[in-house]
Amino acid sequence: MKHITMIFATALLIWSAVASAQEVKFGKVSQAELAQETYPGDPSAPAAVLYKKMRLFYEYRQGLGFSLVTELHERVKIYNQDGFEYATVSERLYKDGRDREDVVSLKAFTYNLVDGKVEKNKLEKSGHFKTGLNKYYDEEKFTMPNVKEGSIIEYQYRVNSPFYWSMDEIVLQYDIPIQYQEVSVAVPEYFNFKPSSKGYLPLSPTYDKTSGKINFTTKQRSGNKVTGTSYNNSTIDYTINKTIFTMREVPALKEEPYVNDMDNYRAAVNYELQFVKFPRSTLENYSTTWEKVVKTIYKSDNFGGQLESSRYFKDDLALLVQGKAGGPEKMMAIFQFVQQRMNWNGYNGFYADKGVKTAYNEKSGNTADINLMLTAMLREAGLDADPVLISTRDHGVPLFPTRKGFNYVICAVSLDGGLILLDASNKFTKPNLLRTNALNWFGKLIKEDGSISTVSVMPENTSRVNTICHMQLDPDGMITGKLRRTHSDYKAYGFRNSYVGIQEDSYLEKLESKNSGMEISAYNIKNDKTVGKPVMESYEFTMEDQISKVGDKMYFSPLFHNTMDENPFSLEERNYPIDFSYPWEERYMISITIPEGYQVEALPEETSLALPNNYGSFRYKIVQQGKMLQLMVNLKMNKAVIPATEYPLVKELYKKVVEKETEKVVLTKNGANGDQDGTSGGR
Amino acid sequence: MRILFLLCALLCTTVSQAQKNNYQIHLLDKGLVENANAVVRLAQMDIHISSTRKMTYTVRRAVTVLNKLGNKHARTYVSYDKEKKIKKIEAYVYDKTGKEIMHIKKKDFQDVSAVDGFSLYLDDRLLQHRYTPTQYPYTMEFVYEVESSDTGALPPWYFLSNYLVSLEKGKYSISHTGEALKPVVKEFNLSDINVSKSESPGRLTYTAEQIPAIKNESLSPSFAKIAPHISVRLPNFHFKGHDAAVNDWKDLGQWIDDKLLNGRTDLPQGTKNKIRDLTSGVSDDLEKAKIVYKYVQDNTRYISVQIGIGGFQPISAIDVDRVKYGDCKGLSNYTKALLEVVGVEAYYTVIQAGNAKVDFDPDFADLRQGNHAILAIPYNNEYYWIDCTSQTHPFGFVGDFTDDRKALVVTPNGGEIIKTVAYLNEDNYQKTKAECQLDPDGGIAGKVNIDTKGVQYDNRFYLEDQADDDVVKHYKNYWSNINNLNVMEYGFVNDRDSIVFTEEVDFEASNYASISGNRILFTINALNKNSFVPDRYRNRKQPFEIQRGFFDEDEFIVKLPEGYTVEAMPDPATIENEFGRYRTNLQYDEINNRVTYTRGLLIKEGVYPKEKYATYRNFRKKVSSGDNAQIVLVRK
Repeated sequence: MKHITMIFATALLIWSAVASAQEVKFGKVSQAELAQETYPGDPSAPAAVLYKKMRLFYEYRQGLGFSLVTELHERVKIYNQDGFEYATVSERLYKDGRDREDVVSLKAFTYNLVDGKVEKNKLEKSGHFKTGLNKYYDEEKFTMPNVKEGSIIEYQYRVNSPFYWSMDEIVLQYDIPIQYQEVSVAVPEYFNFKPSSKGYLPLSPTYDKTSGKINFTTKQRSGNKVTGTSYNNSTIDYTINKTIFTMREVPALKEEPYVNDMDNYRAAVNYELQFVKFPRSTLENYSTTWEKVVKTIYKSDNFGGQLESSRYFKDDLALLVQGKAGGPEKMMAIFQFVQQRMNWNGYNGFYADKGVKTAYNEKSGNTADINLMLTAMLREAGLDADPVLISTRDHGVPLFPTRKGFNYVICAVSLDGGLILLDASNKFTKPNLLRTNALNWFGKLIKEDGSISTVSVMPENTSRVNTICHMQLDPDGMITGKLRRTHSDYKAYGFRNSYVGIQEDSYLEKLESKNSGMEISAYNIKNDKTVGKPVMESYEFTMEDQISKVGDKMYFSPLFHNTMDENPFSLEERNYPIDFSYPWEERYMISITIPEGYQVEALPEETSLALPNNYGSFRYKIVQQGKMLQLMVNLKMNKAVIPATEYPLVKELYKKVVEKETEKVVLTKNGANGDQDGTSGGR
Repeated sequence: MRILFLLCALLCTTVSQAQKNNYQIHLLDKGLVENANAVVRLAQMDIHISSTRKMTYTVRRAVTVLNKLGNKHARTYVSYDKEKKIKKIEAYVYDKTGKEIMHIKKKDFQDVSAVDGFSLYLDDRLLQHRYTPTQYPYTMEFVYEVESSDTGALPPWYFLSNYLVSLEKGKYSISHTGEALKPVVKEFNLSDINVSKSESPGRLTYTAEQIPAIKNESLSPSFAKIAPHISVRLPNFHFKGHDAAVNDWKDLGQWIDDKLLNGRTDLPQGTKNKIRDLTSGVSDDLEKAKIVYKYVQDNTRYISVQIGIGGFQPISAIDVDRVKYGDCKGLSNYTKALLEVVGVEAYYTVIQAGNAKVDFDPDFADLRQGNHAILAIPYNNEYYWIDCTSQTHPFGFVGDFTDDRKALVVTPNGGEIIKTVAYLNEDNYQKTKAECQLDPDGGIAGKVNIDTKGVQYDNRFYLEDQADDDVVKHYKNYWSNINNLNVMEYGFVNDRDSIVFTEEVDFEASNYASISGNRILFTINALNKNSFVPDRYRNRKQPFEIQRGFFDEDEFIVKLPEGYTVEAMPDPATIENEFGRYRTNLQYDEINNRVTYTRGLLIKEGVYPKEKYATYRNFRKKVSSGDNAQIVLVRK
């Protein structure tokens, strides 16, 4: 876990100055727009945003202070029935105690062209709903009336948020095209936000400065009795910094397979609060550098505070480390103890949910509860253990220093100079093997003194599946055999998460139905619960109908069910890296005894292929040794992530794999000569 | 002294806890653990009907969860609404020794909106608690009490709640005050289980013990068809503000008509005029109905919003007309209203929709049955069925969503149970014709023509409205046996009158055939390979069911590469049995150097005993391997 290379291309904010605004008035929908049948830039689009204007700004109200306002105006064209879903709009609203976000001033219309005239329908109350999703979120939804193929819907509303310090991600790319959008963010000088962008589209914001005013009214009473009140007005002027994103013809974001999460590639801007500086008060820092981000997190009771207490586990710990001298030994004991005791409640997070003490007693908690407790116990036992902040795969890659960028925490132990990463929130993880969702480039390790360093969380070890199989063919095409298969590291992790704790019968049924025609017996599994070791399965089997007998010849692909008969990469081109999560290798050693009375007529040729930069390789070799065929197949990818530029080569490699693996072995009956024998069946 | 006292107190609590329940894992019968992810230790339901407008029931359900797949059977939530109040709710968690490890009190339950996965909005709410198991096995005991002014839909009672769950003890009891409140009970599949029934004036009790878990087997009938359960209804009930006296479907249909549908078909004059204009000059009722259905399809969309009595009552036609959307009830009622304007009779129909066919029970009229609404249009002593939530289905065609099942049709004479249109066997037809050219490098290219009817039409005609890349994706998936498939051109014809969908596809693919020295091998059935083989069971327990059946015919002509001739061809196949028929034939035309392949596969609908499962599986294996058969070419 040392140096890491970033393959991600990031679109940087390019400071430029030109962009002409396009003013579109609410309600002025043209006949031409209504008559349009497909979106010119993307005829397959079921709908498109013709115009979007979004304004984020601050409002000051006396007694309440600043609140964050988001105003949205969108005009959406629906081309066909698949686009009807865009006629329902929803907005997630955060709440915390009594503070909550609110949607106000909603105005919405549907426009249709009826007999050459524009017909307009207003959204009524009956089409507008509010739902409580959970403790932290409500959802406001509305669905438009009178929507048909060709309709245009237009709506505007504002969201008032008391959470002025937190701006939601501003999404600049949808699943449908956007013809024109103008998004502005206006922030009073008192707040300093740092923008960061993601996605593959170039953003060219422009900047502007305007001014704002706060009017204070103070009451003054005269005398002891309430005889009169006078008001005092005072004004504070401040500067507003405005950033404007103007974009035309934003393409729809389209799904591609083997991508870690499509949202990571969606064009968007995140604003993270750096500091707040009000007049006559001191500067309050939020985040500017990784150091500061991390310190803010560390200072929190829900994070650093959780590492301080040790009373709740003291007795248990003493028993655990008793008689263990070495660091590695202690680490293993504590890790396994926490892993066994604790149960993940399904929530990620780097702030403790229940608090480590309660979690310890209840034996369940979120990732922070579990891994901070683990860190505290390791420290108490004298080990050099620290928390590491991570962003999970579905949460994006934190390329810029932000608090919101993280959503997960693990633990790192430094042993004899080597760093070992631990995650006790899953029953099948082990040292240096994290949950797959956590394998997202890097984490930030925080020392007790507040210093930070970057550690790679990408696995370098190859996870393997090895299959050794002996089979025997009989003259009728029946196959009997024995198979042994081992799954290591992430392959074992995946296997255990899917199958441990499930009845063997139902697993075997799944296995048989995956390998159709196979009947399994004498199934045996070892180490399925011994996480440190590879899972070893073995079984005996019989198979029918896997060989085509034509005339006096037998044809079969010698990998049988393990043949890759379809290329997983079917798209012509690709924009995003191919993400395998971890390096892996699949290896087959198969011996096939050919039936009595048959001889080998043809075998597939040996082949060996490699991708450049040692990204991956494929080898295939089959040889005859007397009555036996020996097959060796090996496919491996040495890197967890392969850049999109290599896509054509990866696709080509897989094409060759399919070709080679589907090639047939040909056996002929002794004494027969297929080329001349006229008795071949069916002619 | 103090320590001793404490110890004593501790002992007492353990003793009393041990007496309180019998949830220790070691007490579990071995037969109950087999095939089970969870064991219901105790399921107890006590219903008391004190008037048509008041019912209370108490539920106590203790589930021992054996592994992580069993968690879903120990969920702790109850729904409520305006009429239904939760009076009491709590839960206890016990470890495997039966010791209490957690008490979940009413305040620990979250109050959230109900979500059904397809509605935009529901006004039902839930009290729920999410428990994170800390060990297996554990036992969740969930206790709640509900009071409701609705007595029209009594809670259902299944002795087995699901596949892979067994029952140790179940007790259902219903009591009532007065003869008028006496419930009607119907039993299903109780003969093979250990159940006893006791009846006394004003009370009926079922007690069941030791029921082993049922395994879900492929092609087995739906769970409701095989699971032991009882249905209970009150002939005199109150529902969402309306009283009812129901003996049969005729009565219930009448009640639905009077209380839920009546007066909801008014339309604005403008719409009435428009629909009269559209149908002017048309005298035939069926032709008029087609025009109206098309109008509804072109002008409305499906949005589900369930408020108040919304689960049962359609929003009025006037409201649908204004916003141009609605759920199944709203859109059916709206279409019915439009049809009324032009003098066409149509009957509102309640049905259980879904790919699996579920009948309304003709002898048991209650509000629990059905999840969808469609329309029945009587014409020339026949019914035409239309689903008004679809913007694309041809008139009179409902596909496999509501076909061939008994449904409640609300006629002017009350309710009637009528079976909807069936699509069986040859009705579900597909004809594939292709001309292909194989090249010496193993590549294949050709033109394919596919006609589909019946349910096969239903599975295909949506392609017409798909975006380009989705259509290509469909073919890559449909012909996944052809690697490197490249769809060069395609076109569709949707004949909505005779309900036939035609696809024409030009394709090419490199490396379709494998080359081995002087020989080329390829699977002759490139374009309609059926590789479905149902799972094998060491010990099949349930009968099996083929719900609809289908019939495929294929004719492929493959031109062979120059310089090659046929060395070997598969033998023609003919298999015929009670499940269907499989026939293939191959002909090599030496002069033109081409092979003509014909194939027919008929699979017949039917219900078969479990003993025949292996034979059926064998049949499908033969079809699968026949479809895999290869031709060997050799260089001349």
